[in-house]
Amino acid sequence: MEFGFTEEQEKLRKELHDFYANELPEDVSEVPAVSKELQDFWMGLQRKAGKKGYLTPGWSKETGGLGLGHLEVGVANEVEGYWGISWPNGIGLHICGPGLHLFGTEEQKKKFLPEISSGEKVWYECFTEPEAGTDEANQQTRAIKNGDKWVINGQKIYITGGYKPDFLYVEARTADTIPKHRGLTLFCFPADTPGVTVAALPCMGGYRANIFYLDNVTVGDDAIIGQINQGFYHVMATFEFERSNTTGAANAKRDLEELVQFCKETKRNGKPLIKDPEVRKAIAKMAIDIEVLRLAAWRTAWRFGERKRLGPLDFDLTGLFSRINGLTHPVIRMNILGMYGQLKIGSKYAKLRGSIERRWQVTRSYHYAGTMEAIKIVLAARVLGLPRIPAKLNPVIMKALQEKEKA
Amino acid sequence: MNFELSEEQKMLKKSARDFLDNECPERLVRETEASDSSYSPELWKKAAELGWLGLVYPEKYGGSEMSILDMAILYEEMGRALFPSPHLSTVVLCGLTILHAGSEEQKANMLPKIVNGELILALALTEPEASWDGKGWVAEGITMPATSEGDDYCLSGTKLFVHDAHIADQILVAARTKKDKRAEEGITLFLVDAKSPGISYNPLRTTAGDNKQSEVAFNKVMVPKKNIVGKLHDGWAPLDKALKIGAVLLSAQMVGSGEKAMELAIDHAKTRVQFEMPIGIHNWVQEYCIMAFADVQGTRNLVYQAAWMLSQDMPCDLEVAMTKARANEAIVDAHWQAHQVLAGVGFTSQDGVLPLHTKRGKVCQLYLGDTDHHMEMIAQQAEKWPEPEKPEGKPLGIFDTAEDLQVPNWDVWRNQIKTKGKLW
Repeated sequence: MEFGFTEEQEKLRKELHDFYANELPEDVSEVPAVSKELQDFWMGLQRKAGKKGYLTPGWSKETGGLGLGHLEVGVANEVEGYWGISWPNGIGLHICGPGLHLFGTEEQKKKFLPEISSGEKVWYECFTEPEAGTDEANQQTRAIKNGDKWVINGQKIYITGGYKPDFLYVEARTADTIPKHRGLTLFCFPADTPGVTVAALPCMGGYRANIFYLDNVTVGDDAIIGQINQGFYHVMATFEFERSNTTGAANAKRDLEELVQFCKETKRNGKPLIKDPEVRKAIAKMAIDIEVLRLAAWRTAWRFGERKRLGPLDFDLTGLFSRINGLTHPVIRMNILGMYGQLKIGSKYAKLRGSIERRWQVTRSYHYAGTMEAIKIVLAARVLGLPRIPAKLNPVIMKALQEKEKA
Repeated sequence: MNFELSEEQKMLKKSARDFLDNECPERLVRETEASDSSYSPELWKKAAELGWLGLVYPEKYGGSEMSILDMAILYEEMGRALFPSPHLSTVVLCGLTILHAGSEEQKANMLPKIVNGELILALALTEPEASWDGKGWVAEGITMPATSEGDDYCLSGTKLFVHDAHIADQILVAARTKKDKRAEEGITLFLVDAKSPGISYNPLRTTAGDNKQSEVAFNKVMVPKKNIVGKLHDGWAPLDKALKIGAVLLSAQMVGSGEKAMELAIDHAKTRVQFEMPIGIHNWVQEYCIMAFADVQGTRNLVYQAAWMLSQDMPCDLEVAMTKARANEAIVDAHWQAHQVLAGVGFTSQDGVLPLHTKRGKVCQLYLGDTDHHMEMIAQQAEKWPEPEKPEGKPLGIFDTAEDLQVPNWDVWRNQIKTKGKLW
């Protein structure tokens, strides 16, 4: 066992740390990029980092990466997390890119991967639908073969992002099968393909999600990623990437450091906040939670490096810890700020740049890549081997299904 | 970063599991609980033969020079099997203090005997006043005076919650030989013969239901100066180190215990049938199992990390405090979750191991620093953190006006993509 980092890993950490320290503006604030200036800034930084290969350190040099191992990727993610960086093309870097790596054709890889790693393009994943949330396989969007073309119709919802997307990464039904997850296929096509429309879905915390409507969107065979009707398995394989990063703990650590600094500088009742026993306990509790999450995330990163087949134990436990922390910590931090906790970013009296207020709102959206309950269901069934409810035994379930059928 | 157990560690784990499965059944645990000694001399002898008592000692004292991390793996198995023994007191808290601070004579004299299982030691640290305000494990709590009288020191006072005192051959006592502004200064460690005139023992009836802990009263007990371990007035540093190692190993023991409770719960959830289905089908029951699982897995990583850092002799006050604080809460929680699943089967005291785990879990939680103590240690470390680094890039200057930030400007985005009029 080994819990330290090699010299090369520390060198990489220093290099990335210094790069971002120089590039990020001193008034950087973790705000959703909803203004033109902020969008331009983050796209510019993404391109700069992309040129150096920092966006995709784990990809081969031919595809624009640095050819480093999974542990080094973990280090890079930690640095990004520490500086609170959220790339405009996060989805492309962490979901579509790995998906293309695993399942794309040579042509697709040659065409798309360099564009992603250089930070030029923005990808959106369009998986979730009104009827397909946790039940990912329940896709209603259809792709029907018409001659040598595919015609896609459907609606995608909760597609996070405020930047202009260049490409969409869409899951659609290509066959009516039982079980339903055997008939799904992945497509990727430019976001400005005729038939794509979008509606904004402003979310708590001020960031933006979208609804994408796909009306007779016509694409060729070259838009298919992986095999036809294998889309669900491809998605599951790429989701493992989404849940395995070390970013979250590093980001939380930075937040905690700032809170500690704030508590050292702020006086309440004539003494520094940090001398308050309740505050001390709260800080200690958060420090422990963050460390537990950090180690769970590193365990997953290490498992990737060992090229072991990842079990749900790895990524779902990390997911569980990150959700538990994400849901509880902002509340604790807000309580420490007292009345000031409610002040928004930009307010004259806001403490810690108002970041806690926003984070508190954002916690209500900690459901991407599976809700806490979905994670628990997977852990219960696949790790602990507990039984699942057979629908046909339960009259309430059967009635609900029948009524839905009628509607 | 590497979370893999080495081949040696895997072997140690497996052999410990096999040995304890065979030699330390529930029956034996219950018998020793009821006995006056609260440990099994036969099992202690066998543990010595397996090399468990000299695991981390140098070869010249009969040890096998393994690391604290290896020992943590062993402790997990001991916790799982509720191994009743004075291992933590003898080998870790006292033995390692002697190894780190003792004279060559003391080491050559005592360590081989510890390794062979011929010598049992107990650490007398916590005092009646100290245990109230969380000072049971810090230097401020040690006030019992030791006064110099010729070639001897005279100890008078009371030590509480002394584990394994009644079966010990010698007791390692932390006493104050000098009053100083710094509480760490002026503490001296004495090896006291357990049968010395003036010592009396009074077993404490605790939640664990065994006779493991005692009140030890010292009434003018004379200790020769040669029995001082380490330097005069300078006993805190080596003791503190042993206490930290002890806290991590105790956490490892608790992880093993929590894991056993979790397995009991999962097993029960799968096999107990009510309303024609296994109870584990219900989400509420699943929730208990999952939280126990998360408690155990999350704590285990912390234990391994702290044990690894101790093995490397790295500074790790923060990690040690995090480990014990988390183990205190998480493992007791895992026991609680298991009780919810086992329900009626879980609380009978005549049979079933879960009550034993629960009761010992509570004792472990309070030993070597309760949650409050370690939370305070973490807060003290956090206070020392440097100011977080600020980025140095040119300011964007767009954060001045609140309006810019609070009103999302969707138009920026809307105009960039052609739409068919289905906008928000």
